[in-house]
Amino acid sequence: MKRQTATSMNQPAKVAIKNETSILAHMRKSGARGLATRLDTQPESRAMAMTTIDGTRGRFDWTKPVLWLFAGGLIALVMLPLTWLAVYSVTDKAGHVTLRNFVTLFSNADFLDPLLTTAIIATASAAICCLVAAPMGWLVSRTDMPGRQFIRALVTASFVTPPFLGAVAWELLAAPNSGLLNQLFRVLTGAEADDHLFNIYSLTGIIFVISCYTFPFVFVLVANALDRMPGELEDASAILGGRTWTTARRITIPLALPALVAGSLIAFLQAMTLFGSPAILALPAGFHTMTTKIWSLFQYPPKLELAAAAAVPLLLVTILLLQAQKFILGRRGYSVVGGKYGAPRRVELKKWRWPALAFCLLVLLNPVFLPYGALLNAALSPNATTLVTPATATLHNIVFVFTELSSTQLALKNTVILGTATATIGTVLALVIAYVSTRRVIAGSRLLGFLATAPVAIPGIVLGVGLFLSYTRPPFVLYGTLWILLIAFLTINLPSAYQQLQAAFATIHPELEEASRILGATRLQSLLRITAPLLRTGVIATWCFIFIGVMRELSAAIVLFTSQTKVISVLIYDLNESGDLAAISVLGIAMLAITFAVVLAVNRIPVFGASAGTRLRN
Amino acid sequence: MASVDLRGLTKRFAALAVVDNVSLRIDHGQLVCLLGPSGCGKTTTLRLIAGFLEPSDGEIHVGDRLVSSKLRTLPPEQRKMSMIFQSYALWPHMTVAENIVYGLRLRKLDRDTIASKLKAILETTKLEILAQRYPGELSGGQQQRVALARALIVEPETLLLDEPLSNLDANLREEMRFEIRRLHDEYRYTTVYVTHDQSEAMTTADLIAVMNGGRIDQLGTPQEIYESPQSEFVARFIGASNVIKATARDQDHIAFAGATLRVTGAKLTPGQTAVVAIRQHDIALALQAPPNPENAVKATVTRQVFLGASRDILVETADGTPLRIVTAPENAVPRGAEVWLTLPPERCRALSR
Repeated sequence: MKRQTATSMNQPAKVAIKNETSILAHMRKSGARGLATRLDTQPESRAMAMTTIDGTRGRFDWTKPVLWLFAGGLIALVMLPLTWLAVYSVTDKAGHVTLRNFVTLFSNADFLDPLLTTAIIATASAAICCLVAAPMGWLVSRTDMPGRQFIRALVTASFVTPPFLGAVAWELLAAPNSGLLNQLFRVLTGAEADDHLFNIYSLTGIIFVISCYTFPFVFVLVANALDRMPGELEDASAILGGRTWTTARRITIPLALPALVAGSLIAFLQAMTLFGSPAILALPAGFHTMTTKIWSLFQYPPKLELAAAAAVPLLLVTILLLQAQKFILGRRGYSVVGGKYGAPRRVELKKWRWPALAFCLLVLLNPVFLPYGALLNAALSPNATTLVTPATATLHNIVFVFTELSSTQLALKNTVILGTATATIGTVLALVIAYVSTRRVIAGSRLLGFLATAPVAIPGIVLGVGLFLSYTRPPFVLYGTLWILLIAFLTINLPSAYQQLQAAFATIHPELEEASRILGATRLQSLLRITAPLLRTGVIATWCFIFIGVMRELSAAIVLFTSQTKVISVLIYDLNESGDLAAISVLGIAMLAITFAVVLAVNRIPVFGASAGTRLRN
Repeated sequence: MASVDLRGLTKRFAALAVVDNVSLRIDHGQLVCLLGPSGCGKTTTLRLIAGFLEPSDGEIHVGDRLVSSKLRTLPPEQRKMSMIFQSYALWPHMTVAENIVYGLRLRKLDRDTIASKLKAILETTKLEILAQRYPGELSGGQQQRVALARALIVEPETLLLDEPLSNLDANLREEMRFEIRRLHDEYRYTTVYVTHDQSEAMTTADLIAVMNGGRIDQLGTPQEIYESPQSEFVARFIGASNVIKATARDQDHIAFAGATLRVTGAKLTPGQTAVVAIRQHDIALALQAPPNPENAVKATVTRQVFLGASRDILVETADGTPLRIVTAPENAVPRGAEVWLTLPPERCRALSR
C-alpha cells in the first residue's frame, strides 16, 4: 500500500488519500450492514430534561458554589482597599467631595519636594541598575567568565536580602562618624575625627543603597533573555561577515534591549515604592520621599485624606509602567521565532576573563560582602561600630535579643503566626484561582486571574493606606488585630503565588484530570489523586516563598501595626529608631539564614525559575 | 444496553455555534466515526458526549438515561464511559499498573478481582513486562496501549476515542487501527471515534458521520460515503475527487468544455449550475478520440508525475478547468500533449449540495 498526498488545486491540500485498491481493502463490509442507525432531525420535547435525569443519586456538585465564594472573597480583598483609597482621596474631613487634596499635593512644597526627591531617586537608581546589571548579565550568560554560577548565586543573595536590612548594614558601614568605612579612612589617612569619606544619610547614599538591592531585577530579566537567545542568531550574523563586535552591536544588544528596558522600569518602580531604605536613611538626613511622607501623614495628627491622595500617584505610575513593561516584553518582533536551536555559544574573553570576574565581585561587594560583613561584625561585637577581634567577640547580643529583649518574643510569635497563616491561606487561594483560571471552570475565570495579579500594581504602602481606611470602620474593625496584617500580606503575596501555581498548572495537561473523571472520579477525587501529587513541589515552593515574603514585608506593615501586632520587620525598624543596631544585626542574620535555607531547598525544584521574574517586595 | 442518542445537540461559544443542531443515533455495540477537518466540531461533540461540556441546546441520551441537556448535565464520572485522549493523558506519577487499575480502585473492587482483571488486560494489550514502569519510560505505541488498557478495564458502556492515533508513526498507526477494531469486536461496547484521517475511519467504523462547520454533512457506511457523496464537501474530503461546476442541460446532462456529459446522482434543474464529482482514477485517458464519443472531453496535459505504481497527470480542458487524473504508469504523455478523457457516466456524480 502506498500513500500520496493530493496537492492539486481542486483538492484540499491536507487530505491524505489512498488509491482505490487500498481503500477498498480497508472497507469493512461486515459492520456496514446494520443500518438501524437513523438521522434525527427533530429534537424531542425539551420537557424531558426536567424530569428524567437519573443516576445523580442526589449528589450535588459543590465545587461551583465554593469557587464562586472564592471569587467573591478575592474581589473584596482587592477592591475594598482601592475603593476606600479612591473615596478618601476625593473627600475632605467633613466628607464632602473635593479635589483640594490633590491641589495641596501638587502645590504645597511639603509634598512637591518629596515628589521630586522620589523622581530623582527612582530615575537615578534605574539608570545605575542598568549600567551595572546589563554587563553583568551578559558576562554571566554569554561569556566564558569563570565562576558564573557563583556570581548568579550572589545576585540571588542580594535579591532576597530585605532592602531595609541592607540600609541598616550600610548605616553600620558608612554613617559619617561611626561608619566602619569612615573609621578605616581616618585610620589610613590620619584625617580629623569629624572628617568622613562617605555619608550614607544623603540623597546619593539612598540612591546607592536602593540600587544595591534593585539591580537584581534588571539582572534577572537581562540574563534570562540572553539565556534564551539561541547562539545561531549570532552565528548567522558571523557567517554573513559580521565581526564579534559588529554582531554584538547589531544582533545581541538589540535583542536584549527589551528586557533591559523592562528591567529598568521595574527598578524604577521598586525604587519609587520602597519604604524601608528611605525611612532609615532619608529621615535622619532631614528630607522625605513619597513613601515616608505618606507614612508621616499617619503620625499624630493623622491626615488620612492627604495620605490617600498622595498614594494615588504612586498607584497610577505603577499601573502605567507595568503596562509599559508588558507591552515592551510582549512585542512580537522581539520574541525569538522558529524551530529548534542549539545552546548559546559563549564569547571567549581570553585575557579579560579574570578582570571580568573581578568587576562582578567588585560590584557584589556592595550588596553582599560588605553589608553581610558589617552585620556579622555588629552581631558579635560588644559595640556595633567597632571592628570585632577574636578577643572581643561575644555572644551577648544573640543571648540578649532572644532571651532578654521583651519585644522580640512577641514579634517572633506574630511573625511565625502570620507567616504560617498567610502562606497556608495564600497557597490555597492561589491554588484555587490558578485552577479555575487555567481550567476555565466557571464563567469569568479570566477576571479572577486578573484580580489575583492586580495587587502587583499596588505598592505596599498604598495597600497599607487602603487597608487602614477600609478596616478601621464598621462593619470590619480589624485595625489593631493580626487580621489586618494577614489581609495585607495575603494581598501582597497573592500575585507571585498565583503566577507560580498557574505556571505549575499549565504544565499539567487538562486531559490528565479528564481521564480520571471519565473513569469515575469526581472533580474533588481527581484533584486529590491526580492533580495534587503532580503539583506537590510547586505548592511547597509557593508556601515557602509566601512565608519569606511575609518575613520581609515592611511598607504595608508600617502603617498597620499596633504595639501588640508588631512583626519582625517592624521591630527591626523600631530598633533602628532607638539605635540598637546590634540587635538588628542578630535578627537580620537569623532572617537571612532562614531565607537562604528555604531558597536553597526550593532552588532544587524547577518551579523556582517561574518566580525569579516576579517581584519580591518589602 | 447503551445506545447513544444525540438530539439537536448544539454548543455555542459566545455567538459561534461550534456544534450546530447535530442529531445522531448510535445503536448499542456500534462504532461510529466522527470524521472531518480540524475545527469542524467533532472533538467538541465528543466532549459533549463525555460530559466535559454542557450543551447550549439539545439533549444526549445514553440508553434510557438523559445525560445532557441545556438544564442539567450529568458529570462525566457518572456516565459509565471511558475515553482515550489525544495526549493519552497517562498520569506520570503512577506506574503502568497503577494507571490501569485506577478506575477499578474508584469502583472499590476487592484486591483479588483487581489483580485478575489487571492480569487479563495486560495480556490482551501485551503490556505484562511493562507493568511496573512509569509512562515517561515508554514509547509512543506502548503509551497508547496503556491508555487503551486503562479505558477498557472498567468495562465501559460507551468508549470515546479522541484522535487516538494521531501521535503515532505511520506503521504503528496502521497496526493500531485494526487493534482498536479487534478489541471493539471482542467487547462490543458502543464506540464514538473522532478522527480527521479518512482511512482510519474507513478501517474502523461501522458508520461514518462526516462533519463540517459544526453539522453532520453526511452519515453512512464507509462504502456509501465513498461511493455516493452527497455534497461537494464530502466528495472533496473523502477520497480524491475532481469537482466540475457546469450548467445543467436537463435532469442528467451538463454542458462541460464543449461537450455534453451524462451524469448520475441528484436530479438537475435545467439552466442551473450543477456540481459534479468524479474521482481521479475514474477518468480514462487516451491519445486518440475514443470510439464511443459519449462523455468524452478533449484536454491538454499541463503536468505529469511518475509515482511508481501510478502516474499523476494534470490536464486542462478547453474551458480552462483543471482536472487531475491518476492513471496506469504506462500512460506516459508529455506536457502539452492533446489527450481525450472519458468520464464514465456512472462515475460522474451530481451532488445535491
